[in-house]
Parts: sequence; C-alpha cells; structure tokens
Amino acid sequence: MSTILRTLRNLRRIGFKEYGHQMNYIGDTKAGTLIGTDRYGNKFYENMEEELPLRTRWVDYKEHEYDPSQIEPGWHAWISYMVDTPPTVDKALQTGVRAWELPEHRPTLTLSRAAFKTYSTTRPKYSAWTPVAAPR
Amino acid sequence: MIPFTGRAVSGALHVRPRPTSCVFRPQNISRLSTSTIKSATALERQEQSGQHLTASGKVRKEVPLPSQEKKEGAMQYVLTTLDQVANWARQSSLWPMTFGLACCAVEMMHLSTPRYDQDRLGIIFRASPRQSDVMIVAGTLTNKMAPALRQVYDQMPDPRWVISMGSCANGGGYYHYSYSVVRGCDRIVPVDIYVPGCPPTSEALMYGIFQLQKKMRHTRITRMWYRR
Repeated sequence: MSTILRTLRNLRRIGFKEYGHQMNYIGDTKAGTLIGTDRYGNKFYENMEEELPLRTRWVDYKEHEYDPSQIEPGWHAWISYMVDTPPTVDKALQTGVRAWELPEHRPTLTLSRAAFKTYSTTRPKYSAWTPVAAPR
Repeated sequence: MIPFTGRAVSGALHVRPRPTSCVFRPQNISRLSTSTIKSATALERQEQSGQHLTASGKVRKEVPLPSQEKKEGAMQYVLTTLDQVANWARQSSLWPMTFGLACCAVEMMHLSTPRYDQDRLGIIFRASPRQSDVMIVAGTLTNKMAPALRQVYDQMPDPRWVISMGSCANGGGYYHYSYSVVRGCDRIVPVDIYVPGCPPTSEALMYGIFQLQKKMRHTRITRMWYRR
C-alpha cells in the first residue's frame, strides 16, 4: 500500500538517492533492514513490522537488466517465504559447502548469446546430393 | 525458453579428426563407384574440400557484436534515446491477442487473474487482432486451425510479436505424430519467444513475457533505419 504519508516516511528514512534508485527498480518506496547479499551481488531487505504480508521481503538487484534467476537458490527460498531464516543463518541453505556446486552463481542464459541451442551428436542417416543435369 | 529459431548444428562433436579407418572408408567406396560422393553435412564437405567451414556449413566470417559496435556522431546518440522511448512505450503496454487453443489457455487465463495480475504490467487481453501487438499461441495448433491463425496474424498491425506457449505450440508436443496437427506454430507464423512446458505455469508464461520485454528493450528501431 502506498500512501503519501508512507512514502514520505520511508523517504525520510532512506534518503533521496535510494528513493530514486528504488523507483527505478521496484517502483515503490520501502525501508527495511539489509539482511544480506548473495554471491551475485543482489541485496535482500526485510521489514516484518510495517509492510503488508507477502511484501515484507524484497530484493535490490545488482544489475539493471534484472532477472529473477539472478537470485541464488537459498535466497530464492527465503524471498519466496519457503524458509524463515535467511541463508546467512541457515546452515542447510549456505552455498559453497557441497562438492558439486558451481563456484559462482549462473543465471538463466536464455535470450543471450550463451543460450543453449540444440545440436545433434549423431551422424546423419541420409545425405543429399547435388543434381547435375546432363546436356541435351 | 529458446528464444530464437536456432539451426541445429549437425555433427558438432565430429569436428575432431576421426580415426583413420573412418576417414578412409568413403575413399575406398569412391574408388569402386564412378559417381562422386557429395554429402549434405558441412563436416563431410569440409573433409573433402579442405575448406574451413563452420558447423553450420558456411564460411567463417567475423562479425562484431552489437555491443561492440561503437556509436558514431551525435545522430546515433539521439537515435539511441529515441529508441529507448519507443521501446519503453512498446514494452509497457503489451496487448496480447489471445489465441487460446487448449489447456495452455487456462494457464494464460491464470495470468490475468489477481494472483499474477498481468494488468499491473500493462498487459490487457484484446480480442481484436487489429488492436493487439502480441499473439500468445496457447495450445495445440491443428491443421484446420492453421489458416485461421495465419489470418489473425496477418490482421495484426506492425510491430507484432508471437509467443509460442506450451509444447504443442512449440513443436507439436504430444501430438507431434498426429495426422492433423501442425508440428509447431513456427511453421505458420514467426515466433519470438518459446515457452516450454506442458502446460507451462503462469509464472513460466510471465517469464516469457519478461523475456519478450527484454527483447523489445534491445530492439534498435531507428538506429537500424539510420544505418540503412
């Protein structure tokens, strides 16, 4: 809910620079505590007291071309209200402790030059020929 | 989501030189037969002619990335800003033409319900093709429906985009081997975004719409016109 009083109150807390930044990204004026930063560089905030339900946790994306897949799995669970504690506290959600993990977070690469394209690994079963017309 | 119709790269793993027995086999046959061997794949042509070809069968050519192309002069800076304004207007009021054909249409309807609430993104379903810019093909496209789909697409004004939603619209899906189903709606209309799934969730479709908005953001409308 955005009222004038709430906007002004949050603007007083976060300052003009952060206000402009938030209007460019989340389109709202929010004040909360910084819970943590994931390896990708996104910042995660929380305000459990004043915000409405399901709006109490939000993310400040690192990149301007933001994408939900840039959020790391543990933080995704936290911001989707699957868990109560953030990955900085929860042992099971922490990254870098399993052998099979990638060293860095890799977002979805669709619509980029690194997007997956299918290819065949088998030999083709047939081949075409170049027809040559005999002189008449 | 596979955004663009990528050409299947055939024999990509066979670029490495093969064991000698494989290499000499066609030559032995060619000694016996009088006709020359001309195979369709780029790889085998590469072996025969010795020309350096890419996996897609074309001669390799270095092209700078769009991000590597420098802006030259004040005109291109102005046009960049113009493009940003036009792209902003395009991406923030998508009016999809709903081409709901099957169960995917139910998920598409869920996108407009309060949980996902497409209206907050400026997306309003428009039943008339003449006033819409995106067509969401949701569901199995049958042979009987294909002329209607093409007609509706032709009635849409430029610029127009197509989102292919679900396995059936992407490539026939479950009904790929049916006698009456088009094996992918990209045989009828040019598709911008493919949303996989059977059916895709509403979140998946919304993600596809975000990808389409991203594609619109990076469209260089006036810059391409100026370059020409």
